[in-house]
Amino acid sequence: MSGTEAPARGGSGGGGAGAQRVRAEILENERLPGEHRRLLLKAPRIAESARCGQFVHVWCHSPDAFDRPPSAALLRRPYSISGVRPPDGIELLLRVRGSGGRMLAGRSEGEELDVIGPLGNGFYIRESLRRAVVVAGGIGLAPVPFLLQTLISRRVRVVLLVGAACDEMTPYRVERSEAEGATLPQLAALGGEVAFASEAVEGRLVTDLLEERLGELGSEGDEIVAIGPRAMLKRVAEMVGGRLPVQVSLEERMACGVGACRSCVVPSTDGAYKTVCRDGPVFYASEIDWERLDP
Amino acid sequence: MSGLDLTVRIGAMTMKNPVMVASGIFGYGDEFKGLADYGELGALVLKTITREPRAGNPPACRTAETPAGMVNAIGLENVGLDVFLRDKLPAALEYGANIIASIAGETPEDFAECAGALDGSQVAGIEINISCPNVKKGGMSFGVDAEASSEVVSAVRGATGKPIIAKLTPNVTDIASIAIACEAAGADAISCTNTFSAMVIDVEKRCPLLAAGTGGLSGPAIRPAAVLRVYQVAQAVKCPVIGMGGIWNARDALEFILAGASAVAVGTALYADPAAGNRVLDGICAYLDRHDIGAVGDLVGSVRL
Repeated sequence: MSGTEAPARGGSGGGGAGAQRVRAEILENERLPGEHRRLLLKAPRIAESARCGQFVHVWCHSPDAFDRPPSAALLRRPYSISGVRPPDGIELLLRVRGSGGRMLAGRSEGEELDVIGPLGNGFYIRESLRRAVVVAGGIGLAPVPFLLQTLISRRVRVVLLVGAACDEMTPYRVERSEAEGATLPQLAALGGEVAFASEAVEGRLVTDLLEERLGELGSEGDEIVAIGPRAMLKRVAEMVGGRLPVQVSLEERMACGVGACRSCVVPSTDGAYKTVCRDGPVFYASEIDWERLDP
Repeated sequence: MSGLDLTVRIGAMTMKNPVMVASGIFGYGDEFKGLADYGELGALVLKTITREPRAGNPPACRTAETPAGMVNAIGLENVGLDVFLRDKLPAALEYGANIIASIAGETPEDFAECAGALDGSQVAGIEINISCPNVKKGGMSFGVDAEASSEVVSAVRGATGKPIIAKLTPNVTDIASIAIACEAAGADAISCTNTFSAMVIDVEKRCPLLAAGTGGLSGPAIRPAAVLRVYQVAQAVKCPVIGMGGIWNARDALEFILAGASAVAVGTALYADPAAGNRVLDGICAYLDRHDIGAVGDLVGSVRL
C-alpha cells in the first residue's frame, strides 16, 4: 500500500449508525499529574464495539437533568476512547481545561453519565503492518493506550514517541536516566519502546525524536500514526512526505458529533470539506489539504 | 396520551402531533439514526438545500458555544438538490415521519426551481429559508424585506402544490409585516424564528471567533425573544405559526403554543439530548392531561393578557 491510498478506517461508518446512547456509571474518576483525569465508565455496549481512535460524546451534566437547560456546557464534549477494560469498561483521559472538563472532574464514582458512542472512524490497522511509529503530542496521548494495546495484540512492533511542553502536560509519570533518556514507564509497560521529550527539560520536540528514527523506516510493513496539535501533524506529514503511510487523528470543536451540523469540517485533498466527527477523526495524511487546514 | 387530540394541519399536511425538529440541526436525518424514535414526532425539517451543492463557510471555526446557547455560521453547506433527492431524502423517509425539505437560493428563480423539483417527491412540505442572502440586493437577506420575501414565496407557490412554510428571520424591525407579506404571497404557515445575528470575539487574538465573522445565535438564550416574535406574528396572520427558538423542555414549548404557535420545533437541544423532541412531546401530553384539555389546538394563542 502506498501512502496516498486511503482505505476504509476502522469504525462503524460513523454517526448514529452503530453508535449507542447509554447511561454509563462512573466506576473510577482518578486525578492524574497536571490537570488530567482518568475516567473509567461502565458502558458494555460501547466497550464491545469500540475500535481504537473512535470517540464518545459526553453530556457533562447529570443524565437526570436533561429537562433543565444548563447555562454552561450546553453541548456535549467529545473524548477519545483511551482504552477498553473487558468486559464492560471504557476509559477516557482528559485534560481539565474548559467548563465541560471541570464538570466531569467533579463527578463522583457511582454517578452516571449520558454517553453516545462509539463515534467516528478509528485507526486502520492493515494485515501487513509490522512496525508502527506513534507520534503523540500533548493531550494527543488520550487515544494512545487503546492504540498501543490493539497494535501489540496484533503483534505489531510499536515505537511510541511522546512530546510535551513540560512534564505536567502529560498525564503520565516521566522517568529519566543517563543511559535511556526520558520515558513514560506506564506506557512502556504495555509492551512498546517509548521515548519522551519535554521542551522544558530536554529542549526538544517530538518531531526531533521522529527525525532521528526516520532513517530506519521505509520498509513495506512500516507506518506512522500521529496524534496531537495540528502544527505537529503537519510537520510529521511534511517530514515523511509520502514515503510511508501516515495516519493522523484530528481534533475540532463539535456540536452534534454525528456529521449533521457540519461544524467540525477540515479541507481535504479532493476539494471537499470532511467532518472530523464522522469522516474522521482519523484520516490518512494524504487526505488532508494541509495548506488550507487552519493551524 | 390516549384520547388527546394532538393533530396539527398545515395546508394539506397533517401532523400527528405538534412537535417538529428544526432545520439545520438534524442534517439530512440519517446522521441521527438509532439515537431516538424520530418517527414519533410530527415532522422532521431537514437541512437547507440549494440547487447546486455549496461548500459553506471556511472551517475553524463555524460554531461557538455561548452562555445557554451557540452561535453558528456554517454557510449553508449542503449536497445540492440532485444528491438530496437521490440519496438523502429516501434515507430520511425511512423514519416514517413527515419529512419537510428546507430550500434556499440566491434569486426567487432558484427557490422556484428547488420547489418544482421537490413537488414530485415524497416530501410532506417545503420550508422556505428566506434568511439567506439575496444576490440581487447585494447579499442582504430576503427575509428583512417584505417585498423580497413576498417575491420568493410567490415564486415557490407557483412551482409547487405542496404545503409551504416561510421561515422568518428575527433580525428585522417589524416581523409581523414580513409574516403578513408571506401569508399574502401564499405561505401555508410561518416558521418563527431563525437564529438571532450574533458575534463572538476571541479576546486573546482580538478577532472574531467564527471564520465568517458573524453567525446566528440559537439555544435557550434566545427563547424569550423568540416567544415574543411568535406572539407578534400570530397576532398578525391567520395561517398556522410554527414556534421555535431555544425550546428545551415541554414548559418552553407550551410558552410558544400559548403565544400562538400551532406547532413547535426543537433545535439546539437535540445536540444535548437527541430525544429532546420526544421528551417535549411527552411533557405536552402530561400538561394537557393535568389541565384536562382534550386538544392541543385549544391551547394555541390562549395566553391571557
